[in-house]
Amino acid sequence: MDTVSTLSYYFNVVTTYISYYWVYYQEEFHTYPFEARIAIGIIQWSFLLIVFLTVLMEKKGHHRRKKDRTKAKLEERYGEAMDYIFNREHTWVMARDEITKLFHVDEQKVARHGLLRTKLDKQMICDLLYQRLIASGNTWPNRRKNFHLLLNIFALPTFLEGEIAFASMFIKMKALAVVRAFKLPVSPWVINMLMASKKTRVKRVAMYLSVAGSADSELDYFESDFFDQNSCIYDEIELGYILNRRRDAGMKLPNLAHWAELQKKDYTKCMFVRLMRRFDQREYCAQLEPMFRETKHKKLIEEISRTWGYLGYTEAEQMLVDALLTQPDDTKVAILHAITRMDSGRNLRTLMDVYKHSRNPHVRLEALRCVWNYGEDGRDMLVTLENRAQGDDKKLFTFFHNDLTLSRMPLNKEQAYHPSVETEFNLSN
Amino acid sequence: MSTWLAAYYIFCYIVFGYTLAILASYLLFVILSWRMQMTLKVDMPPDETIKYQLQGSPLTPAVSIIAPAYNEEITIIDNVNSLMQIDYPDYEIIIVNDASSDRTLELLIDTFEMVDVPYDVAMRVPSKPIKRVLKSTNPKYSKLVVVDKERGGRKSDGSNAGINVCSNKYFVCTDVDCIIEPMALYRMMWMVINSHVPVIGVSATMLMSNACVVENGRVAEAHVPWSFFPMFQQLEYLRSFLISKLGWSYINALPNISGGFGLFDLDVVVKSGGYDNTSMAEDVDMLLRMVTYMRNTGQKFRVVQVPKVCCWTEGPSSMKALYRQRVRWARGLYEIVVNHRKLFFNPHYGPIGAFTLPFILIFEFIAPVLEASGFIFMIWLIIAGSVNWGTAILLFVMIYLFSALMCFALLFFDYNIDAVNWHQRRRAYFHLAFAAFIEPIVYHPIITYCSNIGYFQYLSGQAAIWKPIQRKGVKKRDTKPQSNATPTK
Repeated sequence: MDTVSTLSYYFNVVTTYISYYWVYYQEEFHTYPFEARIAIGIIQWSFLLIVFLTVLMEKKGHHRRKKDRTKAKLEERYGEAMDYIFNREHTWVMARDEITKLFHVDEQKVARHGLLRTKLDKQMICDLLYQRLIASGNTWPNRRKNFHLLLNIFALPTFLEGEIAFASMFIKMKALAVVRAFKLPVSPWVINMLMASKKTRVKRVAMYLSVAGSADSELDYFESDFFDQNSCIYDEIELGYILNRRRDAGMKLPNLAHWAELQKKDYTKCMFVRLMRRFDQREYCAQLEPMFRETKHKKLIEEISRTWGYLGYTEAEQMLVDALLTQPDDTKVAILHAITRMDSGRNLRTLMDVYKHSRNPHVRLEALRCVWNYGEDGRDMLVTLENRAQGDDKKLFTFFHNDLTLSRMPLNKEQAYHPSVETEFNLSN
Repeated sequence: MSTWLAAYYIFCYIVFGYTLAILASYLLFVILSWRMQMTLKVDMPPDETIKYQLQGSPLTPAVSIIAPAYNEEITIIDNVNSLMQIDYPDYEIIIVNDASSDRTLELLIDTFEMVDVPYDVAMRVPSKPIKRVLKSTNPKYSKLVVVDKERGGRKSDGSNAGINVCSNKYFVCTDVDCIIEPMALYRMMWMVINSHVPVIGVSATMLMSNACVVENGRVAEAHVPWSFFPMFQQLEYLRSFLISKLGWSYINALPNISGGFGLFDLDVVVKSGGYDNTSMAEDVDMLLRMVTYMRNTGQKFRVVQVPKVCCWTEGPSSMKALYRQRVRWARGLYEIVVNHRKLFFNPHYGPIGAFTLPFILIFEFIAPVLEASGFIFMIWLIIAGSVNWGTAILLFVMIYLFSALMCFALLFFDYNIDAVNWHQRRRAYFHLAFAAFIEPIVYHPIITYCSNIGYFQYLSGQAAIWKPIQRKGVKKRDTKPQSNATPTK
C-alpha cells in the first residue's frame, strides 16, 4: 500500500468515527438522563486526555533519548580532548590549529562547514562544556583563553546569542546561564532585545549579563530606578559578582549610595547599602545621612547603621546614639553593634545605659555583648557588672558566656557581628 | 412523591454534585500545577547551575538542620553521616536526643567525640528543659551540635528544642532517619534567594524509601515499593506534592509543609510560637499560625513548594502502623478545623483563608464521612433492589477513568520536571499506574475507615496516643566504608 492510500484509509476511519459520534450526539445523546450525559462526557474527555498525555510523553521521551544519544556520541568523539583542555594547566595559549588537531578535525573543513552542523549537536556540546566548566574549580588564566578559542571553533558564541535572542523562554534562560558561566561577551543587539522583554526576570538577567561580560562595561542601567520590584538575594549575589570583577580589574567602583538614593523600594535601597559595606565605600557614607533621618523603614535603618559601624563612619555616631532613644528593639540591636564597631571610646556609658534601662532581655544581652567587645575598658566593666548581677541579670550573663563557649560570638570586633544579628550577610565569612 | 423518595433524590444529587465539584477541583489543581511547573522551568535552573551560582558567594544564607531522635541506636550514626554529606556551603546539624532509653546518645558521643559545652538555652519557643548541649572536639564534625533534653514524647517538642539552639536565619526540620538528597538545600534555598517577597517556608517533595537502594547514606536507586501499603503511599505522596501542593504553591496558598522535611524562617517561627506540642497535626498548625502572624502584621510573604524530590522517608508498611498514622492525621485535621476556624472563609488571611481552608473543609474533611455514608447507602439500595445498574456502572467508570487521568497527569508532570530520578523510569511508571488502577478498590476504603475512626476518637474525647512508626529499614548496598564513620583521633 502506498503512502497516499494509507493516509486516505486512516482519514476514512477517522471521518467514519466522527460522523458516527455526530449522529449519536444528534439523535441519541440528548435523550439520556442528565447524570449519564455528564458521566459520558467526562469518560470521553478523560480517555482523550489520557491518549494525548501518553503521546506527549512518548514524544518527549523520544526527544530525550535522541539528546542522550547525541551527547554520548559527542562525549565519545571529543571528551578526551575537552578533558585535556580543562584538566591540565597549560603554560601557553594554544593556537587554533593546535586545538583543531587535538580534536582530530580538519581546519579547512571546520572553516567551510563548522565543526558541528545541527542545533542539537551544538546544544549538547554546550551541556558537556558547561558541566566540565562548573565541575573543575581551577582558574588557570591560559585555560580560559584556550577555552574561548575552543568555543569559537565550535561556533558557540554566535549560536548562544541566537538562542538567547530567539529561543523559547526555557532555552533562553539556560543559554543565559551558560553564557554567564563561560564569561562570553554578548552583542549589544541581543541585550537590547532582552531588555525590551516584558518579563522582569529576563530584563534583570540581561542587565547582569551586559555588565558581567567584561569588567569595563557601562553600568547605565543602575543609574535609574531599574528595580521596579523589591530586590532579592539573587540580585545581591549577581551585583556582588559584577562589582567584584570590576574591583579585581582595578577599576573605580560606582557610588552605591547614589544608586541607593535612586531606588524607590526600601528593600532595594537596603541591598545597595549592604553592598556599600561589602565594597568598603566609606567615602560615600555621608550621603546616607538624609536617608537615615527620613526613612521609617526599620530594615533600612538597621542596614545603614551596620554599614556605618562596619566602615567606621564615626561622624554619624551621635546620630546613632540619638536613634537609640527612638528606634524599636530590633533596630536598637543593630545600632548597638554599629556603635561598638566604631570604637570611638566615647560611648561605653551609652551601651551600659541600654543594658541597665532596657526592658527587652534580647536587647540587654546584645548590649552586654557590645560592652564586652568594647576593648579593655568594656571587659573590666563587664566583670563589675557580673559581680553585681542578680536574678534575671545573672541568667543573662549565663547566656552571654554560653555564646563565648560555643564560639558563636566574635572574639574581637574585627570578626564582624554576632550571627544572631547578621546571619544572612555575615561579612566575617 | 413521598418524603423519603424526595430525600433519596436530594441525597443522590448532592453526592453527584459533590463528586463533580471534586473532579473539577482536581482538574483545576492540574492546571495550576502545570502553570507552576512552567514558571519554575524558567526561574529554577538545573541543580548544577544553582550550585555554581551559590557555592562561591558569601551571601548565600546559612541553614540549620534540626533532627529529633528517639531510640535510634541502630541507625543514628549512619543517619548523621548521611546528613553530613549534604552539599551546601554553610549549614549546621542539630540532633535533638529526646531522652532516648537506648544507646543513641552514647553512640553519638563516642563516634563524633562530643563534649559538653555549658549552655543555658534561650527558650525562644516552649520545649521540655534541655539538659546539655554537646559539640565535637574534632573539627571534622564542627557542623554537628547534639542537644540532650528531657523526654517530651513528641517530635514537635524535640523540634522546638532544636529551634531554641538554632543559630541561623533559616532552618530545616526533618526526621533523623530521613535520607536527604545531596542537592536538597540548594534547591530549597534557591526558592528563598530568588523570591522578591520574603519566603517564610519551603516545602519539599518527599517520597517513600522502602524499596530504594541506599549507598553511603544516599539513595542510589529509586524504585516504587512492591509492598502493599508503601506502594499506594508512594502514589499518594507523589499526587499530593506534584499536583496539590504545587498547585497551591502557584497561588501562594500552600497549607502545609511536611514535618518530614521543610524549611522555615526562624524569626517568623519564633514569633508565631513554634510547634504546638499538643497538636496532632503540628506541621499544619504551625504554618497556619505563621500565616496568621504575617497577615495580622501586614507583611507580604510566600510559602513555596520544590517539585524535585528532596527527601526519602520510610513509610508504614504494616496495617497497624498505617492505621495509627492515618487515625492521627484525621484527628489532627479535626483539630485544625476546630482550632483555626476563624481562618476559614476569611479573605483577611489571603488565599489560604479564602480558598485552601474552605477546600480542606469541604473536600478533605467531609469527604470520608460522605464516602462512608454513601457506602452504607449503596448496600441498602442493593438489598432493596433499587439500584439502577446502568447508571451506577457508568458513574463507576467515570470515576475510574478520571482517577486514571490524574495518574497519567502525575506521571507526565514527573517526566516533565524530572521530579524523581527513577532507576528504571518506564518500570516505575507501569508500577505506579498499576497502583492507581487498584487504589480506589483496595486502599482508599482503608483510608476512609481510618479517617472516620479518627473523627470518632476525637469527638468521643479518647486520649491521643502518639507512637513512632516501627521502621523496617531500607536496602543497603555494601560499598567501601564511609570516611566519616571512622573518626580520626
